[in-house]
Amino acid sequence: MNEFALGFSVAALAKGVAVTLVVTLGASLVAVVLGLAVGLVRVSPRWPLRWLAIAYIEFFRGTSLLVQLYWWFFVLPIFGLTLSPWTVAVFGVGMNVSGYGAELVRAAIQSVDRGQYEACTALNFPRLTMMRRIVLPQAIRAMLPAWGNLLIELLKGTSLIFFITITELTTAAKLAADATGNYLLFFAVALFGYYVIARALITPFVRWLEGRFSRGFVREMPA
Amino acid sequence: MSDAPMVRFENVTKRYGSLTVLDELNLDIAANEKVSIIGPSGSGKTTVLRMLMTLERINEGVIWVDGEPLTHEQRNGRMAPAGDRHLRRVRGKIGMVFQHFNLFPHMTALANCMEAPVSVLGLSKQEAEARAAELLDMVGLADKKGHYPIQLSGGQKQRVAIARALAMRPKVMLFDEVTSALDPELVGEVLNVIRKLGAEHNLTMLMVTHQMGFAREFSDRVCFFYGGRIAEQGPPDKLFNDPENERTRQFLSAVLEAG
Repeated sequence: MNEFALGFSVAALAKGVAVTLVVTLGASLVAVVLGLAVGLVRVSPRWPLRWLAIAYIEFFRGTSLLVQLYWWFFVLPIFGLTLSPWTVAVFGVGMNVSGYGAELVRAAIQSVDRGQYEACTALNFPRLTMMRRIVLPQAIRAMLPAWGNLLIELLKGTSLIFFITITELTTAAKLAADATGNYLLFFAVALFGYYVIARALITPFVRWLEGRFSRGFVREMPA
Repeated sequence: MSDAPMVRFENVTKRYGSLTVLDELNLDIAANEKVSIIGPSGSGKTTVLRMLMTLERINEGVIWVDGEPLTHEQRNGRMAPAGDRHLRRVRGKIGMVFQHFNLFPHMTALANCMEAPVSVLGLSKQEAEARAAELLDMVGLADKKGHYPIQLSGGQKQRVAIARALAMRPKVMLFDEVTSALDPELVGEVLNVIRKLGAEHNLTMLMVTHQMGFAREFSDRVCFFYGGRIAEQGPPDKLFNDPENERTRQFLSAVLEAG
């Protein structure tokens, strides 16, 4: 294997890892913020709002991520809206995942004990205060493990942004493998690369959040 | 308006589908009166409290609280079903304690009692904390302020729940089988708190209970519900010693036999 090709490939691979990390972080933020917002609208007492949320969820969850990315990147320009590959990567992947996230949020809100809602009525809470102070803190705790799964899925889904011209981890590994002929090494790097990002970043972060939201749910000595 | 009842059920009917749970209920409760509701399960007694707390909608009739309609409001000169704003205003006069406590698990005892006064009544944190601390002291839990519900016994949880409801300064307190989920040795501490409340505060109290001894000693009046109606009501001595209705007699002998 040629030294130059190897050195060049490793540098490109490092850049691919950085791209995957940045897009994952950005798309995760979009997914969490929009997932929470749409999930809350999904349980609104007003049906037109609920209906909008359902349409959003059906679209983003029910159609292909790759085809969605193609639409944002290749079809919207036909209507005069041209987006940069980075914008499409972060919002395209993030919005797709937010469709699934919204359903997690809905399920978690509906899993909060009915007695909690009744106590809120008895104490005369306005609906928004009830959601913010009582329901969401309990629902977030319940939905965190599922969000952990979803964000790992998101990480792996970012490989599709290759198709909108971005060289991320998988693409860089493929190019490096093609250039050097060492498919075993570079696809092994790609395989473990995703695992390490998931295991070293996403999982510990979600665990940390679970700990923070579990006060009062786990028996411990009072401070 | 001092002669007007604090709570009035006027021809109130509640149905679930084809099942009539309460059938044209008429019941007046005077200010400061203590009323116990007893009866077999399925007789509609808990539904009475839940309707008054607006946890259940009623199908017919009107419920009045403190001289004004709770379930209805005047709109364009006629009585219409109450809107959200009206419900929130009138409901503020009522507090409720539940069989299963329904404390907020992610908040300490103190925070449980402060939350609604701060976010509903708009009290400052200091005012709310002083009020909550005073009430927790009153229910004998001054040393448990920083505990989460999971760190408390059933009896302690229920006393926090009572303090939490009182922090809203209601005029009417509803107790829905508040000792039914407790281990027998913890029932007394909760009943003692209710006794103390009755003696020291001007509260109208309406309770659904299976504690016949307590109902007898504490209440001004006992209502026996059967099949969605009040089968018999009267002062506890009369109702327990000399019931007139055959159903009442059967119920009491069955309950007293069970001990």
